[in-house]
Amino acid sequence: MAEQRTVAGLRCGEVLELLSAYLDGELEAERRAQIEEHVRGCDWCEQFGGAFSRVVGSLREELGAAPAAEPEVTARLGKRLGLD
Amino acid sequence: MQEQAPQGESADVTLVRLTASGDRSAFARLVERHRDAVYRYARLLAANREEAEDALQETFIRALRGAGGFSGEGSVRSWLLTIARNALLSARRRRVGQPAVTEDLDSLDELGARAGWGDPSTPEQIVLRLERASLLERALATLSAEDREVILARDLEQLSAAETAALLGLGLQAMKSRLHRARLRLVAALRAQALEGG
Repeated sequence: MAEQRTVAGLRCGEVLELLSAYLDGELEAERRAQIEEHVRGCDWCEQFGGAFSRVVGSLREELGAAPAAEPEVTARLGKRLGLD
Repeated sequence: MQEQAPQGESADVTLVRLTASGDRSAFARLVERHRDAVYRYARLLAANREEAEDALQETFIRALRGAGGFSGEGSVRSWLLTIARNALLSARRRRVGQPAVTEDLDSLDELGARAGWGDPSTPEQIVLRLERASLLERALATLSAEDREVILARDLEQLSAAETAALLGLGLQAMKSRLHRARLRLVAALRAQALEGG
């Protein structure tokens, strides 16, 4: 692993620690701006942070719509609940 | 003027109240609205399809019996997922006994390193894998149940942070810490797939 940089007053390790809080909108504006400035000046964090963000986004996009309950599962559920 | 049917969460709460009063058609609509989400949650958390289907059925049986006790705190979806989680935990206990409480001893730097933090080739390898949902699902399946369930609740079902913490029986900060570590482990699992060429 390459040596950590300090950009915008933040070390790369601090950015790693705050990635989820950043994505989930839990940081104050000043902290957000500091991270964004760090990322603009650090290709390492820009690339890793981008991939991390894509993975989190893909969970909803790729897995959120499937799998729906198959027709036979739905039928057995209805029967068990007395809804058929 | 025709009265409009309530939408979204308001409709869900109405359906639970009507279910509690014995309205079977309201219960049928409640099942229809949430069946797929409960099954998806169970499928990704259970050991196999049979266990997931059992949890699905158990969830709505318990919801029917417990509708009168629905407090209205949190969404109906998070209430149903809590019931599903309890059903899955019961099944797991029957299968393997009381699960051991695992301590998360990895430092964040170690987790980051496994996820490829600081490796310039990693981001592209990972993003390429996201083009296939099956690879993402496979990576998710390699995580511990604790990691999977926090990701399922927060990222797939998009429960609020407070609802997710309540679902998992954790404090808010503990849930956020678990979520971040679980996401890093998911990235690490995708990277491991890429390194193995799988």
